[in-house]
This record gives sequence, C-alpha cells and structure tokens, in this order.
Amino acid sequence: MKIVIDVFIAIGLFFALAGTIGMLRMPDFFCRMQSSTNIATLGILGVVIGGIIYALGFLGDPSMAVKIGIIGIFNLLANPIASHALMRGAYIHKKKPVDELEVDKLGEDLVEEDE
Amino acid sequence: MKKLNAASFAAVFILGYLFWLLITGQIIAIFSGTASGQILIAGVVVCAVVAFFSAGFFIHEKAFHLLNPMRLVMFLGYCICIFPIELIKANVVMAVRALSPKLDIKPGIVKVPVDLKSEYAQAMLANSITLTPGTVTVDIAEDTEEDGRTYFYIHWIEVETEEPEEAGEKIKGTMERALRRVWE
Amino acid sequence: MSGELLFFAICFIALALILLVRVIAGPTIADRAIAADCVEVVVDAALILFSLISGRSIFLDIALVTAVLGFIGTTLIGRYLGGEL
Repeated sequence: MKIVIDVFIAIGLFFALAGTIGMLRMPDFFCRMQSSTNIATLGILGVVIGGIIYALGFLGDPSMAVKIGIIGIFNLLANPIASHALMRGAYIHKKKPVDELEVDKLGEDLVEEDE
Repeated sequence: MKKLNAASFAAVFILGYLFWLLITGQIIAIFSGTASGQILIAGVVVCAVVAFFSAGFFIHEKAFHLLNPMRLVMFLGYCICIFPIELIKANVVMAVRALSPKLDIKPGIVKVPVDLKSEYAQAMLANSITLTPGTVTVDIAEDTEEDGRTYFYIHWIEVETEEPEEAGEKIKGTMERALRRVWE
Repeated sequence: MSGELLFFAICFIALALILLVRVIAGPTIADRAIAADCVEVVVDAALILFSLISGRSIFLDIALVTAVLGFIGTTLIGRYLGGEL
C-alpha cells in the first residue's frame, strides 16, 4: 500500500522533473509550451492519484479525496484552454511566417489571406 | 447575451449543483445522513443565478445529448481507457526527448483535416490534442476553406510528414474515431 | 510515511524554484507567462502533499484557488497578446 502511493508520487515527480528540464533546455517558446504540458498532465496526475489513495487509506477522510480529485480534473480541463489561448496569442504577436519553425502552414495561409 | 432556453439552463444548473455538492463536502454528508439544509438551499440559489447568466455561452446544441446510456458508456470509455493510453505514450516520448543529451526536435505547424461536425466533438478533440505532450492546437479554420471541411492547425514538435491526411492519422487517428462514435 | 511525503513535497518546491529561472530569464512575455503557469501547477502538487502530511484540508482549498487564478491569468495574457481582448 505505501509502496503504491510512493510509486505514483515518484512517477509524478519524474514527469515534473522532465518537464522542468525541457522548459530550461528547449530553444524557442513553442517547444517550451510542449514541455509544460508534460508537467500539467502526468506530473500532477501522479500526485493526485497517490493523494487519493493516501487520503482514503491512511487518513480515512473521503471529503479530502473528493477535493483532490476536483483539483486534478480541474487542471486537466483548464490547462488546454490556457495553453491554446497563450499559444495563439504568442503566434499572432510574432512576425509571420515564424522563422524558428521548419514548417509553418498557418503563417503561409495567413500571408495568402493578406495579399 | 445569447438567448436562454430551458434545456441548456437545466444542464448548466445540474452541473453547477453537482460541483457545489462536491466542493462543499455535502455529497458525503448526504450518504451519511448529516447534510445541512442551509448549504443545500444556498447552493440552489447560487447555481440558479450562475446558470441564468452563463447558460447561453456554454451550450448551444443538444443539451442532453449524452444521456443516451450507450453514448455515456462510450464517453466514459474514452475518458478512462482510450485517452489515458495516448496520454501516457506521448508523455513518455516527450520526457525521453527532453532528457536525451542530443535535442532532436523539428518543430513546425501542420494543417490537418477533421471530419467531426458537432461543436462538442471538435472542442473535445482540440483539447485532447493540446493535452497530449508534443502537439498543441494553435488555430481552427471553420467554413473558410473551399471544400467545406474543418481544419486544425497543429504545432508538432517532431514533424514526421507534411501530408495533411497522414499527419492527421499520426496525431489524432485513434482519438478521432472514438469521438465520432461518442458524438455522432 | 509522512517523511517520504515531506521529501517529495520539498522536491516539488525545488522544481518550482528552478522554474523561476525561466520566469526571470525568458526572452519574451509569453515565455514568462507559461513558466509562471508551470510554477502554479507544481506548487499545486506540493500543496496537495502538504495537506496530506498535516491532515488538514485547508491547503486543498488554497490549491484549488491557485489553480483557478493561474488559469484565468494565463488565458488573459494570451488573449491580450492576440489582441482579442
């Protein structure tokens, strides 16, 4: 039982670490965004699952387990919306087509529209 | 403010009240018989006000589409089985890519056709793509193309192919098929 | 058991401190915004662990509030950069 909780939280910590290293290493903003998704999905989900098991098994407090579950589900629902808004904003903010990208279909289409 | 209809009001109200019960801890109190009447009534008032002002923004189409038990089962199957598998696969690939000493990335934005008609299905697919590490939906082109299909612009960290159909199959093949079964 | 949880929580806080490097050094405003969003998520995880250690659910309420505020802040910055606000 304790081992299971530890394993889940360690998985979360590993993916959060990978995401953090990705955030520091990636060359441009769009790639950093991809690494941030790593933290927000499995990083927090591992902690949430481990926390639910701990709250039910060791603390015996179901209302705490429900609250932890709400935090996990809310993160999963809200994170893609925020990422999408920020990505789109940063893309529009830049000069098009963006030269850090190897392929940029959106920039080509937008330039075509302007002409 | 959009026009309010009864079905979307009811749907938002029920969802909000369920959230209220969960977050105040009353759902456990109901099962153990110690629920407080004041909190339950306050929840009804708050949820009615919130649903009155926000229902028009949330729900435009069929409000109780998911109440069909067959669809509900497939929806839960998508949330519990199909999507987490894709999520874990992509997470492992992304973690290995971030930790490997040589950073082999080839970022780019590809254009991918989507054959889903329902608004909910499109939103769910876009969110699923954004949640999988390695792909983020940047923009959606609806009704602007000459062939009448919907296109997603997706930022992909490792562009394997620029061909629209092939890239679409690689990014969202399984998820799109499962979502079509749920919503159509 | 709570010793291990404390270790994990401190690791998460350390990750949040490392992410602050990107908040300070990020060349553009969008870099700073996404790094701040990540700090918020990591702090959320640490708060869950702290609430498990102390057995008090007040930390969970704080975690929920930070999650909501981080979502609203990131979306607002994105909308503002896109000129849609």
